[in-house]
Amino acid sequence: MTRKHVLEGVRVLDFTHVLAGPSCTRLMAETGAEIIKVEAAPAGDMVRQMPALKNGRSGYYIQQNRGKKSICLNLREPRAQEVIHKLVAEVDVVVENFTPGVMKRLNIDYARLSSLNPNLIMCSISAFGQSGPLSDRPGFDYIAQAYAGVIDMIGEENGSPYFPGLGMGDVSTGAHAYGAISAALFHRAMGGGGQYLDISLLDCLFHCHEINVQGYDGTNGALVPHRSGAHHFAVAPLGMFKGKEKWIVIIAIGAQWENLLKVIGCEQFKTDPRFADNAGRVKHKQVLIDAIEAWLQTTTSDEEAVRVLEENHVPVAPVLSVPEAMAHPHHNVRKTVRTVSDRAFGNVKIPGVPLRFSQYPEHLPLQAPFLGEHNAEVLKALGYSDGDVAALAQAGVLASEPLPASA
Amino acid sequence: MANKAILAGYRVIDFTQYLAGPSATRLMAELGAEIIKVEMAPYGDPSRAFPYRKNKRSAYYVQQNRGKKSLCLELKDERSKQVIRDLIRECDVLIENYAPGVIGRLGFGWEQVRELNPKLVMCSISAFGQTGPLSHLSGFDYIAQAYAGVTSVIGEPDRPPSLPMLAIGDVTTGVHAAGALGFALLDVHRTGVGQHLDISLLDCYFHQHEVNVQAFSASGGKIVPRRAGSHHYAVAPTGIFRGPEGYIMILALLHQWPVLCKAMGREDLIQDERFRTNELRVANLKELIALIEGWLQSFATDAEAIAALQAVRVPVAPILTVPQAIAHPHHRARGTVRRVSDRMLGEFDIPGMPLRFSGHPELPELQAPLLGEHNGEILSGLLGYDAGRVAELESAGVLVSSAH
Repeated sequence: MTRKHVLEGVRVLDFTHVLAGPSCTRLMAETGAEIIKVEAAPAGDMVRQMPALKNGRSGYYIQQNRGKKSICLNLREPRAQEVIHKLVAEVDVVVENFTPGVMKRLNIDYARLSSLNPNLIMCSISAFGQSGPLSDRPGFDYIAQAYAGVIDMIGEENGSPYFPGLGMGDVSTGAHAYGAISAALFHRAMGGGGQYLDISLLDCLFHCHEINVQGYDGTNGALVPHRSGAHHFAVAPLGMFKGKEKWIVIIAIGAQWENLLKVIGCEQFKTDPRFADNAGRVKHKQVLIDAIEAWLQTTTSDEEAVRVLEENHVPVAPVLSVPEAMAHPHHNVRKTVRTVSDRAFGNVKIPGVPLRFSQYPEHLPLQAPFLGEHNAEVLKALGYSDGDVAALAQAGVLASEPLPASA
Repeated sequence: MANKAILAGYRVIDFTQYLAGPSATRLMAELGAEIIKVEMAPYGDPSRAFPYRKNKRSAYYVQQNRGKKSLCLELKDERSKQVIRDLIRECDVLIENYAPGVIGRLGFGWEQVRELNPKLVMCSISAFGQTGPLSHLSGFDYIAQAYAGVTSVIGEPDRPPSLPMLAIGDVTTGVHAAGALGFALLDVHRTGVGQHLDISLLDCYFHQHEVNVQAFSASGGKIVPRRAGSHHYAVAPTGIFRGPEGYIMILALLHQWPVLCKAMGREDLIQDERFRTNELRVANLKELIALIEGWLQSFATDAEAIAALQAVRVPVAPILTVPQAIAHPHHRARGTVRRVSDRMLGEFDIPGMPLRFSGHPELPELQAPLLGEHNGEILSGLLGYDAGRVAELESAGVLVSSAH
């Protein structure tokens, strides 16, 4: 018997919207779970309006919601809550990312849902978590990044902090939630029962401080983490160097330090007391930056510089723009960048599935749903008749958008 | 009855070092798995030398390796390989983050280890993945970040890109790996067959482009992702604004823009031709920033400005420094910051456990191992080697340990 993927047979009721929650259930859909996405009437997930838009369809929405079924309900209606209560008895996992308190006001919080399905695993994703003084605040990725001490660590030392141009915190939090759900489902399979998971952007972003927290606390504040532009504040040489054409990342720590000196023709630095250890190299990093950039200017091209450093086992990378990354042969060979086809949008490139399972090497054929596309299918499986479904749609409890003729 | 820890009874042979791999097994250790960390003689995981250090003990190492057992071996010695082969038969998971090819040359590639233990799940973590033209290259977080097009979108447009001073990619890749491992274990539970997971920093970084990739592709190249300093290049107002004291993050997405205008006492701006749509606000960003920063300067403190925006639920945050974040009452109340105690370093703060399970609210007491601390326990206790054989391996330098 062949299985489709690791999560075949797992059914998820998905109340998530925007990015952090949907990126979790995206990974679950890509790994074989059945996702029933509950969208709030009338307009559904707000990213259905986010760019790039074509034929009334959002590339943003498609990227995060392929392979999910959509039911669109007016969640304030008791009859909609009744549908949810029936559905909960049929699912393994509930995921939601409303501001804490909203699920309770809708009468679909964990206490209520677990009384209907004691084996349920429910995962709440929020900016600040379900407890603590900040928990009732609304928040997006960058808000949590600011509170996690992340934004303060990005930018020029004497200038304003910078805004990272992608939602790393949301997607990373989605991956954290995926990991926690995975462990909880595993635990349940071993007889451990259901439980509730409280995952927050703040926790997950803070989790990414590999040096800053223990470094500051361990030194009793002597080591103060701070942003320092194109170069690391505590390790050298590590940063962005001006190449012949563009910027190049070079990291030379441990044995790579001597390899780098050989490449740039500065072997005299090996015995120079200024550069005897990392602390000295940080203190005198401008000398190193000047020497490395002077060598880079003697190369014929950035490609040549990168090749020579690679040959000498010095970690190096060109700073690729997003379009350059999307065109890179490695990214395409591995399908790190992937072209998918949407029924209304047509072809669009998205980031591929970052989880590769040897037993399930094929990508599943997935489509992002139209709003409310699966209303009838899902309700009829619960025992509602065609007439019931029509009546609920008529009463505005169920909503949907028309399917394009081609779909 | 107290719930058994989620991964209790599961054993992991852990060849990881530095950060990406150890973050995955850190989470598994917190969930109760037995982690046998194989460290290469004579020094072990290179991060044992990373700052901050005291008493020859690295807080960096302690943060990532609490709750693991250390087995320190001369891995090139045939007798070590026999120990590893014996161990693999006793483990559920093998995880490694060497450059691709290294684990195979040691004799423990996927094709080799699946013969030893058909139920084994093996997870390889690397910078660029096990396949493709870049796969042979060594790499760290920032190297993969640059190749993923991430570094290029951070910084001022006319200045060099700016380096984020934390390794978001390594930790996130570890988390992706932990998620995949949990589901692969579930799959073994259902099918009885193990498999190999190929997780890369490049894939996981690239996965985080929520707008850039699809927008460039879908707009036929009209939307070009680029770095734009303190503000988003495609959404406004979304960025970092100068407050009366420091910097403040404000995000007023489509439906919050009119709310922000009202909060500023400038309802006229809602219909203003310069700011009517998101596209217009992006095009007239400088004027928009001047208006918002002008309003922020009317407050005496950042806290008052933030409170005014919170009152109307416009997403807003102070840009906390790391020391401020460590001291914040919310972060403390939730255990986002966690105080741990190391036998040699004493007490200090690390980022807490980001995965919270209602069935397992208590976190285990864990210690990071000394190098080779569990050599004897693993060889005698688990594998049944007799004392003479263990002593012989020690004196031959196959087994190594140290006092820190």
